[in-house]
Order: sequence, then structure tokens, then C-alpha cells
Amino acid sequence: MKAYSDLEFLRLNKWQKMLYKLGRFFSSIPKGVAQLFIKLWGLIKNVFLAIGREAKDIVSTFIHGDWKTKVSYLVMGFGCLARGQILRGLLFLLFEIVFIGYMILAGAYWLSMMPSLGKVGPSEVYDEIFDTYVTTYNDNSFKILLYSVLTIFFIIAFIYTWRINIRQNKIAEKILASGKKLKSAKDDLRSVVDDQFHKTLLALPLTGIIVFTVLPIFFMVLVAFTNYDGAHDGYASNLFTWVGLDNFNTMLSWSSAGGTQSYAATFGEILAWTLIWAFFATFTNYFLGMFVAMAINKKGINLKKLWRTILVMTIAIPQFISLLYVSKMFAKDGIVNGFLMGMGWIDKALPFWEDATWARITVIVVNIWIGIPYLMLIATGILMNIPADLYESARIDGANPWQQYTKITLPYMLFITGPYLLTSFTGNMNNFNVIYLLTGGAPTNPAASSASGSVGYTDLLITWLFKITTGAESKYYLASVVGILVFIVVALISLIVYNVLPSIKNEEDFQ
Amino acid sequence: MASVKLTDVKKIYDNKVTAVHDFNLEIADKEFVVFVGPSGCGKSTTLRMIAGLEDISDGTLEIDGEVVNDLQPKDRDIAMVFQNYALYPHMTVYDNIAFSLRLKKVPEDEIYERVTNAAQILGITEYLTRKPRALSGGQRQRVAIGRAMVRNAKVFLMDEPLSNLDAKLRNQMRAEIILLRQKLDTTFIYVTHDQTEAMTLGDRIVIMKDGFIEQVGTPQEVFDTPVNLFVAGFIGSPQMNFLKANLVMGANGYEVEILGVNIPLNESQNEVLTRKEVQSQEVILGVRPEHTTVLFDNAEGAIECTIDVNEMMGSELHLHLSSKNNDKIIVRLPTVDLTQEQRDSLSYGNKLFITFPAKVMHLFDPATEKSLIDA
Amino acid sequence: MSETSMKRHMGLRASRAISNTLIYVLLIAISIIWLIPFFCIVLQSFRVESTWQVGYVIPKQWGFDNYVNLFSTDFPRWYVNTFITAVCTALLQTVIVLCMSYTLSRFRFKMRKPLMRFMLILGMFPGMLTMIILYRVLKDLGLTQANATPGLILVYVASSGMGYYVSKGFFDTIPKSLDEAARVDGATRFQVLKKIILPLSKPIVIYTVLTAFMGPWGDFVFARYISFGASAGMNVAVGLYNWLTPDQINKNYTMFCSGGVLVAVPVTLLFLFLQKYYVEGVTGGAVKG
Repeated sequence: MKAYSDLEFLRLNKWQKMLYKLGRFFSSIPKGVAQLFIKLWGLIKNVFLAIGREAKDIVSTFIHGDWKTKVSYLVMGFGCLARGQILRGLLFLLFEIVFIGYMILAGAYWLSMMPSLGKVGPSEVYDEIFDTYVTTYNDNSFKILLYSVLTIFFIIAFIYTWRINIRQNKIAEKILASGKKLKSAKDDLRSVVDDQFHKTLLALPLTGIIVFTVLPIFFMVLVAFTNYDGAHDGYASNLFTWVGLDNFNTMLSWSSAGGTQSYAATFGEILAWTLIWAFFATFTNYFLGMFVAMAINKKGINLKKLWRTILVMTIAIPQFISLLYVSKMFAKDGIVNGFLMGMGWIDKALPFWEDATWARITVIVVNIWIGIPYLMLIATGILMNIPADLYESARIDGANPWQQYTKITLPYMLFITGPYLLTSFTGNMNNFNVIYLLTGGAPTNPAASSASGSVGYTDLLITWLFKITTGAESKYYLASVVGILVFIVVALISLIVYNVLPSIKNEEDFQ
Repeated sequence: MASVKLTDVKKIYDNKVTAVHDFNLEIADKEFVVFVGPSGCGKSTTLRMIAGLEDISDGTLEIDGEVVNDLQPKDRDIAMVFQNYALYPHMTVYDNIAFSLRLKKVPEDEIYERVTNAAQILGITEYLTRKPRALSGGQRQRVAIGRAMVRNAKVFLMDEPLSNLDAKLRNQMRAEIILLRQKLDTTFIYVTHDQTEAMTLGDRIVIMKDGFIEQVGTPQEVFDTPVNLFVAGFIGSPQMNFLKANLVMGANGYEVEILGVNIPLNESQNEVLTRKEVQSQEVILGVRPEHTTVLFDNAEGAIECTIDVNEMMGSELHLHLSSKNNDKIIVRLPTVDLTQEQRDSLSYGNKLFITFPAKVMHLFDPATEKSLIDA
Repeated sequence: MSETSMKRHMGLRASRAISNTLIYVLLIAISIIWLIPFFCIVLQSFRVESTWQVGYVIPKQWGFDNYVNLFSTDFPRWYVNTFITAVCTALLQTVIVLCMSYTLSRFRFKMRKPLMRFMLILGMFPGMLTMIILYRVLKDLGLTQANATPGLILVYVASSGMGYYVSKGFFDTIPKSLDEAARVDGATRFQVLKKIILPLSKPIVIYTVLTAFMGPWGDFVFARYISFGASAGMNVAVGLYNWLTPDQINKNYTMFCSGGVLVAVPVTLLFLFLQKYYVEGVTGGAVKG
């Protein structure tokens, strides 16, 4: 694509400019993708280089270190203890003892069971005393998987700590060599609220995130490669085991079984609706919310606070109440149909939730009702920050209100709220509450239903995922596959948008 | 009350940008040192390293003979005044000033004594119960200074303390800092980008550029004998004039040839050049605006110029001139002795002649930008 | 003034009057649309003559029967469960979120950027996925079904560090030179937080407490998963949802309305009372992204 110089570009007319920009954007995509891979490759290379550096440092520390350092390679914290840093040394030593104890008592067993996820399932054994068959439970696939993941995390933490222990020795040797004193236990304790305060502050939140988010996600990603479901719960019914990529094949194959739609077709349909929904849910709210904010903020409008409060009040009311109630208002025998029929405007109840197209439009409209107050608040805050002299100069230059909106307000808003629009879009893709409480996914899509659970026309990927896990069969492995696919879609969208948005480039710009 | 010694101090940021290169400086007890330079020259970074707010990448920093590289700011016994004052908005003026003393668990009676004493010196006694938000810029500045004052710290650091004030207040506060310095009698390190502040306040000036120290000296030294083009241009206002010229060997030693005029150098200049074995070469001639003499008629050894701009400053005129080969020259011309006729002739396009004696000339090597005679 | 310019002036005023009138009409219409569902819910909560859904709004017979009947159900239990969850979550979550956001705003350590990027990526996984395993783990700990309340608090609080964006945005607006001045004045980092930053952070602390408090009142999916059919462990959202399932709706529709009113009123009042802080947080958060 031919590149124009700035001056040449200025000579183009409006449409040419637009075409040119579009052309540049699309022609830059291959390069962007290539750069992404180069970046990824660089990242991987850096990781390996870093590991290499660490390994080299570990070896050289051993070679050049004194005997205290060398013993520390086996007995963690020995160097610290020998050099008088009792507190540090004891902590290291304690960690090592706990780790070794855990590995001997439990970790080794879990790891050894990991490849098979359990060998002996529940069995019926004849009990002579009671003259009946009694079920005995043996291996537990779920626990095996969970604890082996935990053990792996623990091993990583141990290696990391071991590495710190070695670096400590190196630093201590250096400090002693330069004739200075090592930090005492008192210094260590003091640094917990001072120069190392960030570690103290992060300890609790990060532990929570690792245990309750990272670990479960890691676990669930692994589940996608097993046959864990209601019939194979790993303990009471049957053991579950590794199945490789089978679940991905099932999900992404087009062959349909038993006369119903294939999983891939169902997934494609739901994904398409999810994206359509996210698009409309985000942008209808965005523009209408901005419009309402501008109406309230217009000069000469009184009672600004009242209008705002009325809208804000609806944010406070828990969504399940308003959504459930509104869903019943639009029901066949609900208030809306009752009102319309009572006025004689319609003869027959409108199929708000019964017809696919009606239902899809209704959820978008109800979502506007939910979302506008929130967007109104955000837009108000930003509108107030637009410098008034921009408008004054535009008015002196002869811009009418519409031109002021398209040339000043909108570009400003879009620039500031770019990142927000992105999170709002991905948030809407995963907007479980609105869909589930309003329609529960209904009306049912008969072609897709037997794929898994009962899939409806308003189901998003996230509600589908929920249905899969709660259905009679509880195909957890399939839910996990869907979850991974959702992640990939969200990550792709974010990646593209992040590289286009101007306001994301530098976090410090705002500081 | 302490000396400060920086040895090979370096600041390298994560992205491999070096902000300060091998900074070496010894600051004596009770000395007032000013770091001056354009923005981004590393002066604030150096100050913040002394304060402990930035890590020192390499080298050692000693305060009172003790290496303090790894000490937290609170353990270095320093006081600091920030550019934007950094007053705690939720505390009254009294609490702001007392904050550091309370952290040190000084008895309340003594805190009262010291805070009111400082407030008296700074003339802010009547504002002690106000919050910073209710104060004017100058008052906030005083509170910030007061907060640093009560510490009786070893070293007093000031990071562009006057740059947020308007011109008039700035002059006033500058005078007050000089007074304060006499009262406190401690070591001061002061950072500014304003050469006037540097000249008026400092015992010694450290001129920095791009992370390097260009010159260290008393105000008089850096004004009279700038070691390079940058220092010569940075110190003094209006800026020193730079003209293309040639250094040639004349009958009685070195001469500077400019626009057909040959100006013989004086004895000491000759001596330096001879010692350095400088050959005839192109040079950059530097002359300060206040060191030129303006003639209305041509004379032996005068350079002909055309007037571009005539700025009336009251007691003097700043004339912007162009020489024949288009060098730009600024000269200062006191108005008191001018006749009306002469004043009228000083308008755009008219001719004028300037001369300057050898002793006010600075010569720089165009390649190295170093001074040929001032070092 | 010439005649044409007189006309132009009149025109400006007239057109402004027209556009303002239009906006008033619009705002009134919006207010009605936004408030109608809540009017209806309140009105129907007082309906005595029938308990199922009807096509009219104004009750034929008024009374407090629905409210009284609530107390013979598990509703009080659900209410207490939700209240306990909300209070505990509000307290603990605030501590965690503030620790996280303050650290990420104020400290420059090597892992800061990777950490933030990692949490961004983590947030792209549908959180619901983790429910399956969390349910099994909590079940082993005995924190599900009837004992769901502590389990739910644990789940809400544990991962709340990832929601640091809004308060980090707030902390970023407090000048760093305040921290630096305090550190030079002899404060440890902990003292800086306690004596300088926290007193200046009242708006964001209130915002965090408020949102953390309101969250549990509306959460449906986690609460339902973890209480798993045990009425004693449900929160109001799950409990009331079950009253609207097809087999219960005819018996409990009006009671749902009265329950909804009882839930909404205190939360809404609290919210309106602290509205200012919420608005600050929301607008600040959106600008920061």
C-alpha cells in the first residue's frame, strides 16, 4: 500500500482519507501479527535466557562460595545461621523441613498417581455380617488431580525459595567482604513495615488470588483434557482419567451425531449471538447513556440532582430483583401484555420471551434500562472535565451543536473511555446475570438442545457453560473446553483493541 | 551540619537510560551548593539520590563520613523542601510542621516551642491553625520550609522550591532563603533551572547537562571563566554572544580576526595559548552583552552591525544586531547618557558599531566546545 | 437594534425554550419508565386478593399479608445470611483491595508490571469455571449447603485483590511527593500509609466498602452453586429466585414482591446516602480504565 507523506495526505478529500486510513489499518495487520509472534518469541527466549543466567549464577556461586554457602545448597538457611542471621536461617530451614516432610508423606504419592488419576475405582464388596453388598470407595481422581496440582505449585515455590536462599549467601558474602555488617533480625522485622512493605501488603491478596483463582483455573484447564463429568465424578461413581485432546475434537468437529446439530455449529451460533449481544449491549448503553447525561447537564435544565438521583437509585436495587421482576412483567400473562390488551392495542399477547427474535431484542432493550444510569454517571463525570474553552472557541468558529458534539464531545469521550469500552464489551460477553435472570436462555433452540443441556436462542457462552455444569450429565470437561475457548476469544479481542487504542499506551500519562 | 561526599555516583534506570554519570563532588559542612542546569540534566535525580528517594545505581554517597547508600530516607537525617511543597492536605499548618517531630517522639512541649519558633521566623504564626488549602502560594512555601527547618537536620535539600511562585514572590523568597541560610547555618543543597537563583544563592554552583557535571565553581568563577560553550551560554542574562572568528598569529602574539578586524589578545591570554601550543585555527568568540561598547560612528577596530530589534528595558536598551556575515549579537546599552537624537537613530535597519577589549573575550574550540583560554 | 437582528435574538431564545421543553418531556418520560417497575413491585407487594401474577397493577384489596407471611418462610434466614455475608465481605474485601491497589500505585518493584499483566490475563477466564472446583473443595471443608455463608465470604474475599483498578486510579491521583515528604520527615512506609494516605482516601474507602457491601445482595450464581439446594444456606437472591420458578410462581409471586421490597429499601437508602462517593469512584474508574 502506497504511503502518502503528511502533506500529500492533507490534499485528499474526506472519503479518500477514510479509505486511506482503512487501507493502512488492514495492510498493517499482517505486520502486527508478525510483530506479535516476534514479541512472543522474544518473551520465550528471554525466559530461557533468564533461566540460563540463573543456572550459571547458581553454579558460579557454588564454585566461588565459602563452605557455609556450599552447605546451604543442601541445608537451606545454613549460611544465614552460620553468619548470625538466625531469623532468616530458621525460616529457610523450616520451609525446607516442611517441604521435605510434605513430599515424603503426601506429595510423592499424589504425583505418582497423577498420570493415571487413580487406579482402583469404587467397588462392591460382599459384607458377611450384614449379608449385603457394600460399596467401598478407593482412589479419588478429583483429589489426585487437585493435590498433584497443589504439589506442583509447592515444588515451584520450593525451587524459588531455594534460589533466594542461594542468592542470600552470595549477597551476604559480598557484604562481609566489603567489611559491612549483615542485617540483623531486628532490621529484617523493621523492613517488613518499611522498605519491604510492598511484600507485606501483597502477601494476603496474592495468596488469595493464587489459591482461589490461579489454582482453580489451572485445575480446570487440566480438566479439559479429562473425562470428568457427572458419570465420572472420580470417587463415588467412576474414576475419571486423561483423554488427551478428545474433548476439543468433540467441541470443534462438525460431524453431528444422532440427527442433531454438531457441537461446533452450536458453539458457532452461540458465539455469534454473544458477540452481537456484547456489541449492542455496550454501544446502545454507551450512546444513550451519554445522551441522557448531556440532556441532564444542558444549560437551563433545572432539578439536575433530581433526575440524576432517580436514575442512580435504580443502580442500588439488587439486579436479581429488578431483572426477575421485569422478566415477569414481559411474560405472556404479565403486566405489559395485560396493559396493552387492556388498552385494546393488541388482541393477542406479544411473544416477548417466546420468539427468538423478540426475545433477543427484548433482552437488549431491558439491558438499556439496566445500563443507562451507570453510563449516565460515567459520562457526566467526563463531560464535566471537557474544558469549556473548547466549546467556546468552537462556537466562535461557527460550529452548531451537532458539530460541537461530533467534533469535540465524541472524540474526547471515545479517547478517555476507550479502555472502559473494552472492559465493558468483554464484561457484556460474560454478562451472566442479565441473560440468566431475564430469560434463562429461552426460547429453546431445538436443533442445538441435544448438543448439551438445553440451549436457547438468548444463551451466551457463559450461560451455556453454566448449564453444562448443572445439567443432568454435568459435563465438566466440556464446560472447561468452553471456558478455554471463551478465554481465547476475549484475549484475542483485547489484544487487537489494546494495540489500536491510543489512550492505553501509557499508564503514567494520567498521573 | 555535615559534609556530603558523592563518589562516582551513577543513576541508571531499568530501561538502561543513564540519568547521571559518574557524579563526583565534595560538599563542605555549612556550604550552600546549587545544582543548576536545563530540565532533564539529572540535577533533581542527584538530589533525590542524596535524599534516598531514588536508589543509587553505583558509587557511594557519604553524609558526615558515613556511607548512606542503603539507608532509608528517614534514617539519613535530611530535610527537604519539594517543588510543589507537598504539604499534607489533611493536617493544619502546625501539624504539618510538627509531623517529623512527632514521628521522632519529641515531647509535645518541645514541639510547641520549636514549631512556634520556626513559624515566627517565617512569619506564619497567624496561620498555624489553618489547613494548607487556605493558604496562598507564598505561605505554603513558607510552611514547607518551616517543616524542613524544625528538623535541625544535617543537610537541607531544596528541589526547585521557587519555581511555582510568580516573579515578584520569587525575588522576595530568594532574599528570605539567603536570610534563612544565615540563621540555620547548615549544609544546603539547592536545585534550580534558573541561573539567577543559582548565582545569587550559591557559595558554589554545579552546572549540569545530560547527566554530566560541566563545571563546579563559585558564581564569580563560572561567570568569568566558563570552561565550555554550554556553561558560557547558560550563565548570564541575556546570553553570551557567540561569533565565528579566527585565531591567528600576529606580530605581538595571538590575535583574533573577526570580520576583517584584528584584536590582539592580552598578556595572560597569550601565555595560556602559548603554553597549550594552540595553532592558528577557527574559533568561536564569546562576548557578554554587557561587555561590549556601542559606537554610533565607525572607529578603528570596530565591527559594523545592523539593528534588528530594539528592546527598551528602562535603565538600558537591549539591542539585537546582525553582523555582516549574519552573526546575531545582543548588546546592552545604558540609556542614561544617550541624547534624543541617538535614541531616535536606534531603529530597525540602521547601522551601528561595536567594540570590545581583549580581556572580556572568551575563545572556544569549535570542535571540542572547550574554552581555549579559561581553563 | 435592527429588525432582523431583533428577530434573530428572539429566534435564539425561542429555539432554546423549545429544546428545553423537549428535554423536560424526555426526562419525565425516562423517570417514569425507570421507576415504573419499582412502583409496580411495591404495589403488588400489598396485593391480598391473589398470590399469582396478574395483568393489572393496582391491588383490589390492600394489606400486609405478604409481609407477614414472609416470616413463616425461610426468608428471615436468607436475609440474615446475606447481611452477614455483606458485612464481612465489605470489611475484608476493603482491606484486601486497598492493600493491593496502594501497593501497585505506590511501589515500583520489579514484578509490578508483570503482576498487573498477569492479573489482566487471569481476568479473561470466565470466573464461573472455577466454581466447579471451589464447590468441591468447600464441600470437603464443610462450607457448602447449609453452611454456605462462610464459604461464600471466603470465595468473595479471596480473589477480590484482582478488582484493584478503581482504587489504584484514586491512589494515583494523590501526589507522590506527599509520600516522599513524609519519608524524608522520618516515616516508615507503613506510617506513610497510616498517617498520610489513609486519611486522604476517605472517598475511595467508602466507595470500596459500599460496592463490596452491595455485591452479595445481588449475587446469584455463586450463591446458588454453593448453597446447592439447601434453603438454610441461601442468600436472598437464590431464595427469592426459587419462588419464581414455574411450580412456585403462582403461590409466591406477591411474596417475592414484598421480599424484594424488604431487600431493596435498606440497600437503596444506604446507597443514596453515600451516592456522592459512588459517583466519584465510578467516574474516576472509567477514566482510568
